[in-house]
Formats: sequence, C-alpha cells, structure tokens
Amino acid sequence: MTTSEIKRPAALSELGQATLRRLVRAWFDFERRLAIVPIVRRLDLGTFTRDDYQRLLLNLRPQVVEGSRWISRCASSFDREHTDIRSVVLRHAHDEHRDYEILETDYVATGGNLETIREQPRNIGSEALNAFLMHRAGEPNPAGLLGAMWIIEGLGEKMAANWADRVEELTGVDAGCTRFLRYHANNDDSHMDKLYGLIDRVCTNQGAADDVVLTATVVGRLYAMQLEEIDVEP
Amino acid sequence: MKANGIQTRHYAIDRAQRTTHSNVEMAVSAAKQCMDDSPVPVKSVGMLSCATTQGDMVVPGFGSMVQAGLRVPAVELLTTHGICSSTVMAIKAAANSLRLGEHRSALVVASELASRLLKSTRYEAAGGFAAMDFNSEFLRWMLSDGSGACLLESVPRGRCLRIDWIRSFSHADAFPVCMGIGTPTDAQDARTWQDFPTYAQAEAAGALLIRQDVRLLEQMVKLGVDGALRLIEEGVLKNQDIDHFLCHYSSHHFRGKIADLLVMSGANIPEDRWFTNLYTRGNTGAASILIMLDEFLRDGRAAAGDKILCMVPESGRFNTAYMHLTAVGQ
Repeated sequence: MTTSEIKRPAALSELGQATLRRLVRAWFDFERRLAIVPIVRRLDLGTFTRDDYQRLLLNLRPQVVEGSRWISRCASSFDREHTDIRSVVLRHAHDEHRDYEILETDYVATGGNLETIREQPRNIGSEALNAFLMHRAGEPNPAGLLGAMWIIEGLGEKMAANWADRVEELTGVDAGCTRFLRYHANNDDSHMDKLYGLIDRVCTNQGAADDVVLTATVVGRLYAMQLEEIDVEP
Repeated sequence: MKANGIQTRHYAIDRAQRTTHSNVEMAVSAAKQCMDDSPVPVKSVGMLSCATTQGDMVVPGFGSMVQAGLRVPAVELLTTHGICSSTVMAIKAAANSLRLGEHRSALVVASELASRLLKSTRYEAAGGFAAMDFNSEFLRWMLSDGSGACLLESVPRGRCLRIDWIRSFSHADAFPVCMGIGTPTDAQDARTWQDFPTYAQAEAAGALLIRQDVRLLEQMVKLGVDGALRLIEEGVLKNQDIDHFLCHYSSHHFRGKIADLLVMSGANIPEDRWFTNLYTRGNTGAASILIMLDEFLRDGRAAAGDKILCMVPESGRFNTAYMHLTAVGQ
C-alpha cells in the first residue's frame, strides 16, 4: 500500500518526461482546436457579445454540475493500492463540487434568469464529454483520468488568464459576472508540483502513459465539441 | 524600452525621418560584404534568394531590385513573401536547389527597413497619437533596420556551417492575424487597404499602420515550443545535443510556467547556450536570423562539430521555423 503523499519529484523518469511532452502537445492541439471554435474565435477577433457570454455560461453549466460527480466517482474507483492518488482526487472533488453555484450567480448577474440556466439541458458535446468521463471514472483505478485533469484544469487557467478580462472588455460586464471564469486561476506552483508528482506516480509503464495521453486527447476533442455546439443549438 | 530590454537599434532614416539608405541598398551592401569574404565571384552565383517584409517598391519583387544592384547575370531568382520567417523559406529553397544539383552556389539576402513605417507622420495621418492603441504602438519600440546575407555552396569551403535540416510549421488555419499591415483601426471594418477609394483614405483609416495584437503574442511562444516538441517527437531534434541556440526571441519570453514545463519534460536548452543580439540590434524582422548568425560567427563562438539550432517564430499569422546547422571544417 502506498501511503506517501504525492509531491514534485526532483526529476521525471524518461517515460515521465516523454509523457509530459506528449501532454503539452495534446494541450497545444486542444488550444488550436479551441481557436477555431466560433465563439472562441469571436473572443479573439473582438466580436464577442454579452449574448455570447450568456450562451457560454448556459452551455457550460450542465458539464460543471456533472464535473463534481465524475470526480467523486473517479475517487471511489481507486483501490487501497492507490490511496495516495485517491487523496488527491478527493481533495479535488471537494474543491470543485459547488462550482456551478458561482456559475449560476454569474449568469444571473449578467441579467439572466436563474430558472433558465437551471433548466438548460446538456448540449451534444456535453453529453459526449460527460458520458466518456463517467465511463472512465467507473473503471478500476482510472489513472488515465490524469489526462482529463490536465485538459480541464488547463482550460480553467486559460479562462482566468485569457478569457475573463477579454469578456469584460468586449461585453461591458463587470467582475461580478466573471467569477466562475476567474475561479480557476490556479497558477500557483503547488498545482504544477502535484501534476508532476502524479505523472511520476502514474506513468510507470508505456501502457499507463499512453492511456493518460489518450484520455487527454479525447477530453480535449469533446470539450471543443461542447463549445462548438453553442453555435449549433438555439 | 524598459519593458523589452532593447538598448540600441539602427535606423536607415535620419532625425528628420528622411531615408538614408533604401532597403535595396542595404540588401546589396550586405550581399557584397558577404561575397567579398568568399572567393566565389558574384557573377557565378546560380541562385539569388531574397527576403524582406516590404521592398522599396510594391512590385516587382524585391529580388529583382537586389539582382539589379548586384549585377548578377541570368540568375535564378526567388523572393519569398512573408515576415520574419521568409528568410528561412529563402534559405530552404536555396539549399534544396543545391541539393537537387541545379546550382553550385546560391546567395541568400534578407533586408528590412521597418523604420519608414514608424515615422511620426504616419501616425499623424491616421488620427494622431490620441487615436493610437497599444497594438499599433507596440512595434515602434522593437523594430530596427538591417540586412544580412549568406552564401550557400554545395561543397564545404574552410570553416563553414553545414545545413542539416530546415523545418517550419504554420498555424494560419487556426489563429487570426497577430501582426500585420493592411486592415483599418476599426475592427468591424472588413476592408483591406486597397479596397479604399484612395490610398489617402486607407491611411486615414489606419489601414497602413503596422499592428501587433499583443494579446496573441503568448500564443507565439507556445507554438514555438509546439514545433520543437513535434521535432523532438519525430526524432529530428535532439535538444540535449544543441550547443548553441539562436532565437529570434529572447529567453525572457520563455520564463515562468512554460520554462518549468520545458525543464521537467527534458525539452529545454540551458540558458547559457542561448545567443541573441536582440538587445543591441533590435528586432530586424526577416534580416534578424542572418544578422544574428553573422555576429555569432564573428564572435568565434562556434567550434568544429558544434550543433546550432536557429529558431524563427513569425507572429504575423503564426509560422515557426527551425534550422539545424553544424560547424564544420578549419
């Protein structure tokens, strides 16, 4: 049984380094896909409107609500040989399980109706993303979900660093409307240290490393699809 | 200047903003100096491969004007169109032409005269400084004039650099324009400069100003890393073997989280192997990589066998170019 806490290793193994390089590439690929998603492109080009922002929040909420569920399920799928990983996931689940309330408050602050956002169904991309995450989270010792964490946490940072100010600049909403976007400003070193520690812990063989990268890639594609659907659905 | 660290720059215009050297004159001067250092007579050069962001004339191509200045007869001519990375395109085309056996020598010339774009009168014509945003002012503090040249030969001669490979990755399909000239200040106006009834109207609308979308610059750094990771994954680039890293950007762009990721993933190049002259020469655009290589070689930094990686990220619409060289010969 592993009882030690997951910490930043002095250096990653050769496989850990190669996996990190592949994860960075998977992240860049995700950013590239995001850049051509219509609503994100409007943010880049400066044509993003308040209506866009409301639709963004409406379409994010279902997945954010479900987010806490797949993380909790993921935690319960780790056996006693993986309690160190389970501890990290549990803390994460606790940190995030009421995020959607911030998102709802933001939506109302932009002039939206609370009932409207609560009744918003999952779009096709959210449906696929949620199904994939819940499925993977139910598998025994789903360490590959480290790849999902890499993409979703990375996006949280990107929202805080690149989107929040831009949304305010373009739509005229104030900081009281962008608290969800800013909430994930997790640029601190301890967050990255934990990530390096998890890579070191999880990527002990090629199969495990491939699984992490595959999961990151799939989650990136499905997340981009979720945002694409904003311009497809009414 | 405090923010970008540049201490000295060069302008081919005087204090009254009159041009002292044309872009072609600078290009020809660099080409002549290059040929003076070689026993190859300029008349025997088989290919002339030229790059600039903007020639003195709109047409014909810059290469034609350089050829005329150099008086090279019946040469195969190439002018690459683009910004910083256009020089790498010019080098690659020239190197490939030698590899195909079509020529024994090719002269690559790159020159840049950006200061003409930055004259105070240009900004006044576009509504004055009150109408300027940071995006249209940003490059005023960076750009610099200059030219460089290099002679490529199919057979090594003395101490020289072997071109091992040249690769580039363009991302214009995914990302919007980051640096450009031709669109008006009003982002909602979809016209480009020639769509205005007169050039005067285009200028008044700010369509002839050079602009950098500063917000997108961070993407350039990431795509620079992305290309390097692609080459490492392919097995083409072995970053741990690089003795000298010549980057069009300085290391301070690669600080923070991305630097930590590069170190932890084993994809970094230690800072003591970086070489840049950005702080003393400014950003000379297309000419920068040749000016940098020249200064690097004159400093005597390359020992036989040393491996050199040049990286030229072009922010225009995100093209990143990489060139791997090895110092050979005595």
